[in-house]
Amino acid sequence: MTEVGLRGSFSAPVAGVARRRSRRRAGSAGYFFVAGYAILLVAFGIVPTLYAFYLAFTNEKGQFTGLNQFVKVVQDYRFAPAFLHVGVYLVLWLAILMVLTVTVAIILRGRLRPGLSAALRFLYYIPGALAGVASVLVWLFMLDPSVSPAAGLLRLFGFESFAQVLGPANLPVIFVLIAFWTGAGGWIVVMYGALNNIPDDVLEAARIDGAGAWKTARYIQIPMIGKWIAYMAILAFAGGTQLFIEPQMLQTASLGRLDPAWSPNQLAYVLAFRYGDFNGAAAVSLILLVLGLICAGLLVRRSGLFKVDSE
Amino acid sequence: MKLSSPPRSTVAALCATIVVTLTTLAACAPADTSTAPAASSASFTPAPQDESAKITVWADSTRLPAVQAYQKSHPDAKLDIVTYDGSADGSTYLQTKIQLFDRTGSGWPDVVFAAPTDVTWASAPTGPSAQAFAAPLNQGLVPQSTLDNFAKGSLTPCEFGGGTYCLRNDIAQVVTWYNKKLMDSFGYTVPTTWEQYQALGAKVAKEHPGYLLGAVGDTNSQESYFWSSQCPAFNLTSPDTLRTDLQDPHCTRMATLLDSMVANGSVSKDAFFGQSFAQQHGSKVLMAVGPSWYGQYLFNSAFKTPAGQIAAAAPLTWDGDPTVATGNVGGGIWMVSSHSKNLKSATDLVSWLTTSNENQASAPTYPAYTPAATAWLANPVNSKYFANDVSSAFQAAANAVWPGWSNTRFSDATAWSSVVLPALTAGKTLTATLPAWQTAIENEAKAAGYTVTTK
Amino acid sequence: MTTVDNTRPAPRASRWISLAVTAVLLVGLLVFFVLPVIWLLLAPTKTAADLVNTGPLSFGSLHNVGRAWHNLTSFQDGILFVWLKNSAIYSVGSLVLTLATSVPAGYALALTKFRGRRLLLTVTLLVMIMPSAALVLPLFLELNRFGLIGTAWSIILPFSFFPFGVYLVYIYYATSLPTEMLEAARIDGAGEWRTFVSIALPLAKPVIALVAFFSFVGNWNNFFLPYLVLPSTKQFPIQVGLNQLLSSTPSFNPVAGAGLNITSPELALSIIIAILPVLVVFLFSQRALVSGMLAGATKG
Repeated sequence: MTEVGLRGSFSAPVAGVARRRSRRRAGSAGYFFVAGYAILLVAFGIVPTLYAFYLAFTNEKGQFTGLNQFVKVVQDYRFAPAFLHVGVYLVLWLAILMVLTVTVAIILRGRLRPGLSAALRFLYYIPGALAGVASVLVWLFMLDPSVSPAAGLLRLFGFESFAQVLGPANLPVIFVLIAFWTGAGGWIVVMYGALNNIPDDVLEAARIDGAGAWKTARYIQIPMIGKWIAYMAILAFAGGTQLFIEPQMLQTASLGRLDPAWSPNQLAYVLAFRYGDFNGAAAVSLILLVLGLICAGLLVRRSGLFKVDSE
Repeated sequence: MKLSSPPRSTVAALCATIVVTLTTLAACAPADTSTAPAASSASFTPAPQDESAKITVWADSTRLPAVQAYQKSHPDAKLDIVTYDGSADGSTYLQTKIQLFDRTGSGWPDVVFAAPTDVTWASAPTGPSAQAFAAPLNQGLVPQSTLDNFAKGSLTPCEFGGGTYCLRNDIAQVVTWYNKKLMDSFGYTVPTTWEQYQALGAKVAKEHPGYLLGAVGDTNSQESYFWSSQCPAFNLTSPDTLRTDLQDPHCTRMATLLDSMVANGSVSKDAFFGQSFAQQHGSKVLMAVGPSWYGQYLFNSAFKTPAGQIAAAAPLTWDGDPTVATGNVGGGIWMVSSHSKNLKSATDLVSWLTTSNENQASAPTYPAYTPAATAWLANPVNSKYFANDVSSAFQAAANAVWPGWSNTRFSDATAWSSVVLPALTAGKTLTATLPAWQTAIENEAKAAGYTVTTK
Repeated sequence: MTTVDNTRPAPRASRWISLAVTAVLLVGLLVFFVLPVIWLLLAPTKTAADLVNTGPLSFGSLHNVGRAWHNLTSFQDGILFVWLKNSAIYSVGSLVLTLATSVPAGYALALTKFRGRRLLLTVTLLVMIMPSAALVLPLFLELNRFGLIGTAWSIILPFSFFPFGVYLVYIYYATSLPTEMLEAARIDGAGEWRTFVSIALPLAKPVIALVAFFSFVGNWNNFFLPYLVLPSTKQFPIQVGLNQLLSSTPSFNPVAGAGLNITSPELALSIIIAILPVLVVFLFSQRALVSGMLAGATKG
């Protein structure tokens, strides 16, 4: 692969414009660089995943079962409700996460003094440091109208007791709240960093052309962080289909008010750890994986996530 | 980079492959090789024994001091003590770890404190090539005379296929709690039958609204009420057949009774152990139908009712029915691993923990071993809080736990908490929710491998 | 240079509205994120009864904090500190390995050519999306096969596998590294490694900080792997320890706690202790994290 030698005649264009030269040098150096990661990938990614595939197509004696594991789990009485629950959750979660994190990141990047921006980013992130048990305890109190600081708000919605707050119809909203509380801060940090990446002269040019904040955001900033948004969407979708911690923790904290298999991933855990049915658990996991892959595939294609040059 | 459409030949090959695959898949092995793990016959092959080997003990935080006390009073015993959640709150940690150990062939603890539900899976192999985790203690490890001295029915959760796979640590027999001071001041007599209880509820609703005779909102309220009523909700007629019939008169009579009391407000829909119950209603609890540990852990710790007010009476009976039956809410068990290399040490420890007065007289909850229970009752620490002598009530109830509410492979609290309680919260009556509860139990039972029947 | 505005300046009213909306959004989010944390911080100053009886944001007394601290540290003879130490070992150990493997990998995926590059990217994404329930058993069997169960490596090695970080580095290098500098180095005859070490690495400080941060936090907060894999309480990291504390709290387990004295304020205090390291790390890496992810080399 020859490299184009003329450099000086090209000024640094806005990223995204096709470059004629290749960024890459061919050679075996690449192998060396990825070696360490590749070993870990094989050991802790590929081998377990392949084993999980193996589990999903066999039974506990090791006999090949074809699609029977999948048939079995689909017929489980908890399967359909679990996917329904997660479906509702996903719609809410994706909408709120993507809109709010990008919006907030843009606002923090653009309109505020750096000190205030940094302070807000830190404060928004703090709940992200609480995971699992920690967020459970906090939300246990936040959701109980008799002890919560937000009691007024809860009563406004007609909830007089914790038991009422945990009514089955409210659960997707509650989980979106908890997931957003713990997760949004981190993504705001990432989106902010991505926005920072946009060269100042591009933004300057836009400002000179008279674009207001809204237009700049819509036509310049968002497209330029497209890959980051796609990455976030993929992980949010996959993470959403694999919702586990929040319902699991709330189930423990409420002493069993939730179905232990409210989400499909919980169903997989119940199959694995309550019935010892690792094969069924693998089958459910593969179904979730396929869903995540479909979304990932679509997003990778649309956003060109794997495209880094115009080869 | 555009994806060009694959050439025709590729498509054809793909289709052919799919067709072949699908036809092959029709003739595959079944997903489950066995419907349910049958309880193994009560014998096992012990590992090579070494009487000086160290034993690993898994206890929960509450039982840890007891195990440490054993270590102190038996300096030559070699213990490695590990704490874990003790299977509390439906945790499946123990089951998970044992399954993983079974797969790798090593790592099992020698002695484990767990919940009765754990014995249902521990008494059978977890996989085709595994050995049941729990050792049957009645096969030469613990003398039959010791086993006979446990309270009637307290070892039933441990018994599978002729083997006794655990020793019961404590029982939580349901008694009738009442606040003597309040009852006396209101001029009420303590009911002895359920009918009287219901009538008192109507009285209290009229004369002292806001005062409570019970609560159904706890995750285990069904054990206090429906078990006491001998409702066949979890009745194993054979090791793999579950009878659940919530339209049985024993069930409907309790549902009707509770509905009437919930309706007039004398029984609360909330949970005794809810966050704010103590603050809002703690001082207004006239009576409670609940386990023996309510005395210390509900009235004393949670409600902070002053000493000398709370008393216990024998379980309620039904008019015209001479049977005294009551329920049970909890109680832990100790298991010895069948893989243990030092069964003598392990059994020694477990016996000491469950049967010795030294340990059990000061235990936090009522011991299952009858002589130890007598010592427990004689210990002033356990009785000085109460307004009367609770011994007769506790002992009567200890021998009256109805054996028809079986220990199953799934928790009896799941269906109640996730189906019945939300329905109650939404305003439905218990009687109207019985069918949904039954369906939930049936679904869980089938998923756990039971055959379900109503007869 | 005077600008010629071709567009009308925004009318004042809509300016104020957009300002108001922005302010409401930011403040609303601030309350949402921070109020529960404030509750958490105030919780140890009260007793368990106070939490229910007095106002949620009221301050109790420092004496209660002392008592909560005492109860917490005497739980199982100060095992809290052992848990914290374990968390530190696992997180820092895997952090080092993560950086050593993820950064070069991300660089190579973005900026070098080799066969299987795209395959590696795809497989990484696939593995990231795989639900963990199915991976636990194979992971356990694998760790057991190599005799790692019971050692710190059983945690550090799996933690070091951080595909999320590899992607972060990959996207960063792919989108923002100016190739002029790399070209210059290559034309000067520098080998790939030297190019990486002397040019690409220093320019990637912000993304390295980001990866380090997320790795540390993710591993510090990871619950399920240590929960399943570690045989002894003394090896638990703090998150699993918190779970142990939870099951020793009367609110969640009424019969527990005979003399254990772990109630909600103690739990709250333990949570604060558990998240402090993460917050401190975040504070110190603020500057590295988000200031100037821009390499600076394409300006002008």
